[in-house]
Amino acid sequence: MRPEPLLSVRNLSIEFNTERGVVRAVDDVSFDVAPGETLGVVGESGCGKTVTALALMRLIPSPPGRVVSGSIRLAGRDILAMSEKDMRDIRGSEVSMIFQEPMTALNPVFTIGNQMIDVIRRHEALDRKSAKQRALEMLERVGIPIPDKRISEYPHELSGGMRQRVMIAMALSCGPKLLIADEPTTALDVTTQAQVMEQIVKLQEDFGMAVMLITHDLGVIAESCRRALVMYCGQMIEDAAIEQLFAQPQHPYTQGLLRSIPRIREQKLESLPVIEGTVPDLLHLPAGCRFADRCPRATTDCHESQPPLVAREQARVACFHPGLQDHA
Amino acid sequence: MDLLQFAIRKLISGIPLVLGVTFISFVLMVYFGPDKTYELLGKNPTAQQIEEVRHQLGYDRPFLSRYSDYLRELSTLDFGHSDSTGERVIGLLGRTIPVSLALTTPGFVLGNLLGVLLALIAAYHRGGWIDKFIMGGAVVGMSVSFLIAIVGFQLIFSSSYGLNMFPVRGWDVYSLTDYLRYITVPTMATVFVALGYNTRFYRAVIVEEMTRDHVRTARAFGTRPWKLLYKNILKNSLIPIITRIMFSIPLVIISGSLLIESYFGIPGVGKVTYDAITTGDQPVLKAVVGLTAVLFVLTLLLTDILYKMVDPRVSLK
Repeated sequence: MRPEPLLSVRNLSIEFNTERGVVRAVDDVSFDVAPGETLGVVGESGCGKTVTALALMRLIPSPPGRVVSGSIRLAGRDILAMSEKDMRDIRGSEVSMIFQEPMTALNPVFTIGNQMIDVIRRHEALDRKSAKQRALEMLERVGIPIPDKRISEYPHELSGGMRQRVMIAMALSCGPKLLIADEPTTALDVTTQAQVMEQIVKLQEDFGMAVMLITHDLGVIAESCRRALVMYCGQMIEDAAIEQLFAQPQHPYTQGLLRSIPRIREQKLESLPVIEGTVPDLLHLPAGCRFADRCPRATTDCHESQPPLVAREQARVACFHPGLQDHA
Repeated sequence: MDLLQFAIRKLISGIPLVLGVTFISFVLMVYFGPDKTYELLGKNPTAQQIEEVRHQLGYDRPFLSRYSDYLRELSTLDFGHSDSTGERVIGLLGRTIPVSLALTTPGFVLGNLLGVLLALIAAYHRGGWIDKFIMGGAVVGMSVSFLIAIVGFQLIFSSSYGLNMFPVRGWDVYSLTDYLRYITVPTMATVFVALGYNTRFYRAVIVEEMTRDHVRTARAFGTRPWKLLYKNILKNSLIPIITRIMFSIPLVIISGSLLIESYFGIPGVGKVTYDAITTGDQPVLKAVVGLTAVLFVLTLLLTDILYKMVDPRVSLK
């Protein structure tokens, strides 16, 4: 029996009104995050990862976007039914989010100290002095050298990695129960990526919070998560423990993703395997499985009806022909 | 120290600008401007009389020496005497510029402050009926000609057809009450028209800033909407706002008050400039043109310093 989940998303669907019609960016997504767990969400650009994350914070720009159905419960509260005011009280304190672009995500005309103190004082009854003290501690904990010098600097005076650390410090400064990290390392160079990820993992243990890590990088997921969701075209297609996902991927798309990771020590390949075809247009989705057109195993069934998400081998998969058959 | 160095460098680099502006306007004045000779001589002068008067007026001297005289006048602020009234130019300006400033400053400040405030309100409610109402009003303000606004406000507030609460013309200012009585209607007309343009511009700037990533970040940390506007967004929007405000200062001081001054019979520098143009009063024109150029350079300098104060990424190097 799993413990009471911290976050529980049920049948979440989100639509956007565009000039060309209504696009369903997230379609019937359900998942749980246990307290202290790290959940990875993988998928290519436009698959609905970020929109799902923004929905958890109720930050979907509306209009054009709206949640059309489903429920989101965080620590026993119904996120979608909360007043805007209550929602603001939660953002940054119960649930925090760090964003992809550390270059633009911080306000360029205020010092990082000013921004951090704003966040801390927004959620906690501290005077400026103690809030600054807290900000300094947080900067120290995320591994920023000479925090009392950095705190009075502006974002443009820091490197990308530093800025992302500041974001993390800000996100953790009010002790959130859930941290949503949306591609936290994508904009950084590889060595910095590793350091920042390490920091997130370490802080997660220290603070005992749950982390929802959104990325398109399976490598990052492998290093830091216990469980991962794979998304494709707004739908969840696989949900599995991390060892299971890498050793025995069930969905052909997941298998394709794993095959297309370059490996250094393996035999020389002529070219890197790719998944043939392209993602279908969200405006003109096929009636059946959304991956069917690109899937080597697709049958008439796949083209005619959508496979439901079913439990299989300690995982959940949305595929009529799951498993490792004919692919190693 | 940085600032002082920067100011000095900026002022020095402003010298060519002043030279260019004064040179071009001086060429225009000398070759295409009015010739006083015939006005002074009346009908049927002899060739000798013409030459004598031209010599007295200095028209026979080479261009460059006349231009360098002008520059000397500009640097000593001694422009001689007005051709039409005989009053010392610097005294004339010293008398009228303060009046113009007193007249236009309230309208200018109010027009911009209210513009920013309305723009913030409209941006906050963007898409809603408050936004539509404010922006509708702005279009009205923009579409009504300044002249119509002036005459309209005069009719409403200063004539026996309307409320008749304020003097319609003149400048008999001896106390604060007098001052307020005389500037109320002109200020209302200025604000009414300026507000249209300002609000639209500022709203566009603010709405643009609202789509930035850092605004999303602030929202993700629970920042309250008003704080988001007046702190996070407003400071970022200040660069275009400052640019607009600063660049309108020289125009407001010199030409912006012209219509107001003529319609309300107020003896300001706009009126003086206008009269100097129509009567070909060269000493006054030279003073106004030269001082406007200097004012522009000073404004540019101040603008750059304000940029630096608002945005830490701007360097004064």
